[in-house]
Amino acid sequence: MSRKQKKPGMKKRIFCAVVFALSAALILTSVLGFTLRTTKGTLGNLNEMRINAVLHAASDGLVESIAADAKGAKLKELRKLPNFRQMGMNEVEGQCQEAEDAARAEAESKYSGIMDGDTTKVIEKIAPLNSALEAYAAKEEAEQKVYAEISVKLYESVADWTDFAGENDDQVLSEKIISIVPEVKEAEHLLAGIIKDVRNIASEEKENDDEQMLNQLMAAVKGALINYEELRALDDDQLWGEMVNNVPELAEQEALKDTLITETRTYVENGANGVAEETEEAVEEISVEREVNYEYFVASSELDALDDQAKAAYNELFDELCVLIPDLSGLDKKMKNSIQATIENVVYSENLNFSERYGIYTDQKADSILQGSSKTTMWLAAYATQILIAGIALLLFALVNIFWRQLTKRFGVPRTIITLFFIYLCLAAELYNIYVPLMLSNVLVRVGMYGVLALAMLPGIQCGIGLNMGMTLGCIAGLLSTVIALQYDMTGFTALFFSCILGALIAIPLGWAYSLLLNRMKGNEMTISTYVGFSFVSLMCIGWMLIPFTNPKIIWLLSGRGLRVTHSLLGSFAHILDEFLAFEIFGIEIPTGLLLFFLACCLIMWLFSRSKVGIAMTAAGSNPRFAEASGINVNRMRTLGTVLSTIIAAVGIVIYSQAFGYAQLYTAPRQMGFIAASIILIGGATVSRAKVSHVIVGVFLFEGVLALGQQIANAAVAGGGLSEVMRIMISNGIILYALTQSGGGSRE
Amino acid sequence: MNKLKKENSFSISEHLKKYAVTYMFIAMSVFFIVVSGLDMNYVASQLLLRLNRNAFIVLALIIPIIAGMGINFAITIGAMAAQIGLLLTINWKVTGVPGILLAAAITLPLASFFGFIIGKLLNKMKGQETIGSMILGYFANGAYQLLFLFIFGNIIPLNDNVTIVGATGVQNTLNLTGDVGLYMAVDGIWHLSFEITLYIILALIAVYMLVRYFIKKGSTIKLACGILALAVVGGVFQIPVINDVFTGRYSGGREINIPVITWAVVGILCLFNAFIMKTRLGQKFRAVGQNRVVANAAGIDVNRTRIIAIMISTVLAGWGQIMFMQSDGIGTFQTYAAHEQVGLYAGAAILVGGASIDRATNFQALIGTFLFHSLFITAQSAASNLFGDSAVGEYFRAFLSYGVIAVALVIYAWRGAQQSKRGGLNLEAIRGEKAMKKL
Repeated sequence: MSRKQKKPGMKKRIFCAVVFALSAALILTSVLGFTLRTTKGTLGNLNEMRINAVLHAASDGLVESIAADAKGAKLKELRKLPNFRQMGMNEVEGQCQEAEDAARAEAESKYSGIMDGDTTKVIEKIAPLNSALEAYAAKEEAEQKVYAEISVKLYESVADWTDFAGENDDQVLSEKIISIVPEVKEAEHLLAGIIKDVRNIASEEKENDDEQMLNQLMAAVKGALINYEELRALDDDQLWGEMVNNVPELAEQEALKDTLITETRTYVENGANGVAEETEEAVEEISVEREVNYEYFVASSELDALDDQAKAAYNELFDELCVLIPDLSGLDKKMKNSIQATIENVVYSENLNFSERYGIYTDQKADSILQGSSKTTMWLAAYATQILIAGIALLLFALVNIFWRQLTKRFGVPRTIITLFFIYLCLAAELYNIYVPLMLSNVLVRVGMYGVLALAMLPGIQCGIGLNMGMTLGCIAGLLSTVIALQYDMTGFTALFFSCILGALIAIPLGWAYSLLLNRMKGNEMTISTYVGFSFVSLMCIGWMLIPFTNPKIIWLLSGRGLRVTHSLLGSFAHILDEFLAFEIFGIEIPTGLLLFFLACCLIMWLFSRSKVGIAMTAAGSNPRFAEASGINVNRMRTLGTVLSTIIAAVGIVIYSQAFGYAQLYTAPRQMGFIAASIILIGGATVSRAKVSHVIVGVFLFEGVLALGQQIANAAVAGGGLSEVMRIMISNGIILYALTQSGGGSRE
Repeated sequence: MNKLKKENSFSISEHLKKYAVTYMFIAMSVFFIVVSGLDMNYVASQLLLRLNRNAFIVLALIIPIIAGMGINFAITIGAMAAQIGLLLTINWKVTGVPGILLAAAITLPLASFFGFIIGKLLNKMKGQETIGSMILGYFANGAYQLLFLFIFGNIIPLNDNVTIVGATGVQNTLNLTGDVGLYMAVDGIWHLSFEITLYIILALIAVYMLVRYFIKKGSTIKLACGILALAVVGGVFQIPVINDVFTGRYSGGREINIPVITWAVVGILCLFNAFIMKTRLGQKFRAVGQNRVVANAAGIDVNRTRIIAIMISTVLAGWGQIMFMQSDGIGTFQTYAAHEQVGLYAGAAILVGGASIDRATNFQALIGTFLFHSLFITAQSAASNLFGDSAVGEYFRAFLSYGVIAVALVIYAWRGAQQSKRGGLNLEAIRGEKAMKKL
């Protein structure tokens, strides 16, 4: 036995040693690369590359233009041939391609010599262009910042855009805007753009409202029409008649008639399909802030002047280039513009770091001037970061390989894997040029957002009911109180605390009743709590429709009753905790209030678990028979834990909604239990044992992986969707793992 | 006499308790059908349609329940395997019955493999299989999306007719109609009207009775009673009110047709379920389901038996999904969502039929499907009539599916808790020993 283990151990050691050596070599190489970046030789090379890139950009534009002309000419020539129609698509393409390639080769050979010409005058003009561009960029950034501030402030202070949507008079609109954002007065030239922006937002909001209304109408239609086969046969007017017959509200919606008919038709076509009957919507991915639309940004006169200067500087450079390559002046405007963009991009690159500059110049084939050793040194300097990351990754790989057994024993397989994944993502973030401070701010907000919700799992596990999937009951209590706060137009901290406290109060009887149920079915809690949670969410879907709320801001305007699905909390208590005492450090925005609230909740839970009652509760959970013997009323402790869990869930969803900016009703809370469960399990809890620290570690790891992974997935794979897949797999994978650890095994 | 009566009344109350959910749902169904105000002819045609569509999948749940693994919500994974099979079939442009057979053939190894993994995992979470299989289904959904969004069409090349041109992944909806030729490939082979089918069945039963009478020389009175009963059924069917429900002859409604082959397939599955329980393997399922410890002591490889049960269930669920997809009135399926609700609806259906976590029969599965879908059809209209808001109906159906499962689980767990209070644990051991003796 021992000999058997020794042999692979030896192999493993050799393998690890090789990996270590490799990683050390890579790290040393990257250090060399970094030092090379500052040496005179490489910097000189880089500047030469810049000049070369400018020349290349110009001549390549010319070559492309000539090639394109040749292709066009060939096509025209072919068209004139009598047998053009008989020629296949491929043949025409091929002939054109041939002509194009020939022209390109010719042009290239013609202009290749130009690089060796007298370029001193061109070089002279590069520096002024660079400084002009720099001045322009600095000024533009400053002005856009002002614009963005105004836009964001405006967006966040207005809760109801309907007034803006109907306003056609610019004068009235501008007065309205000034009353909300007085800063506009200091930047008068922006006003016109802001007005356009406001109109745009207002119409977008209206579209949103319309879409929500359409959804509600469609839900009503779907509810009413079910005999699909007969409906399929009807024409549009008959179908509309049938729809109005069943849903009288439709009669007032002539404007949406066409859309409604099309939607209904698709529904009827697929309708008999049992599958289409209930399509679940996944929890929406979070987009915390609205992006500023720079389309309507208006430049000030100073900025325009700077722009003119930059243009003049470019024109001087271009004139010099024309002297060098006379054919350049004959280009058409489109090609000239494209060349201008490329050249400006190449010239205005001094602020960028070494590898970015290298990348830009290489794109213009400027690396052709590098020869021999300078090529290698430049390459090393440019890819130093990547080499370093590869080195670190190998080092980690070797370390993990050695300490795998200890690590998995200490942290469990999934936590080790997820931590490693997290480190890998951090490294990859550097590769994909993701702006790390912004990402970290995002993670911090998400930590505060989900932290309290995850904390709700803690008393459930401690008191012995396991993962309390029925915490959705608490979530619904919290959402109900949030909607009540909206009903009475509460704002600010009043609304927040009102929602939290009322939510907690509603959660108490709910949690109590629920715990009575759970106490009668010990051993099956998780299955039951999941389905009780699910059915309660579905039941409340009907509740949201029927509870008589009256505030027009939160109910469907159309039918005059029933709550909407998504409620914007802007203007009520959105981000109020996030912004409380918030500050910025190293570009990272710290949502102080949110984090303080989360930590305070953690502290309270920690103190509670240290108290006499808390210890009794944990004892009842971990060993009910022993607890019973020592005089603890196990059922009462379980009730206490369940109620506590429900209360925290109620507060948690309020905090979640304020950080998210929206309160989502109907089916949205269904998955909350799963998210909370996976967070605490990633933190190291099991279904029978958990601590406050598990929540904190878990929420950082889980949200870190998700926030980072989301960005990297979006950067790596176009089209998105990968991050959602990742969320599903991590979240459910970790719960599965916990279940396999808890039950069964090989007891028989 | 007195004693007998007592026993009898006791058994009735037991029976009511045992089938509380079923009776509750029968009452609800009747109530809903009345309140919904829907045409009976419509309800009947929809019900038969849905019964033939869903019965196969619901029947796939039986074996794991008998093997003591609870409701196998991981049948969604079988459905995913079937959808992979269907995708490839569409991709290779195989049509008609060969297409369905090809899809089934692809499903077989895939679903067996997935079933093996599910079984392995569920063996590690004994006692938590229901929730475990549900979460496994969710997890697999992630893998499925990964496969369909990023691997199919990129790493595994597919034809243009199933991929999104200019983007990654498989189309959102896959069409089975038209040139694809899979729509109603089985359903459409042979249709008979409900009326004719009924009389053929009655005639077959009569022939069976006669044959048995002549071979076994049974009692003449019994035979006469049987034939008379059949004649009464046949006669009652001709009463206009009842006849109209199925033929639409009097009110101008629709004539209900029966896809004979589909029903035959469902019938074969029922026979398979009944047959396998008579084999040695079936006895092993039962023994493991009743008491793992005793089964292990009797030399049964508990884990292996459980894995086999799940593998059979997953494959059957896959084939069930194919039968569902090809059936009348479907035509297209949502590539990324079609499998999601399979486990939920099937689980709810079998629970409504009176099955519990450890007991299930073919009859319960069929009656459950019937009841659940009768509610499903009428819930929307009924809810909108009751609450005066048609959107409520949509949510009511979702509540129904989850609520059924929650109530059934609670009732089961409640009874289990009461039994163990009364020393029910011994009872279980006795049952286990009984099963052993049968082996």
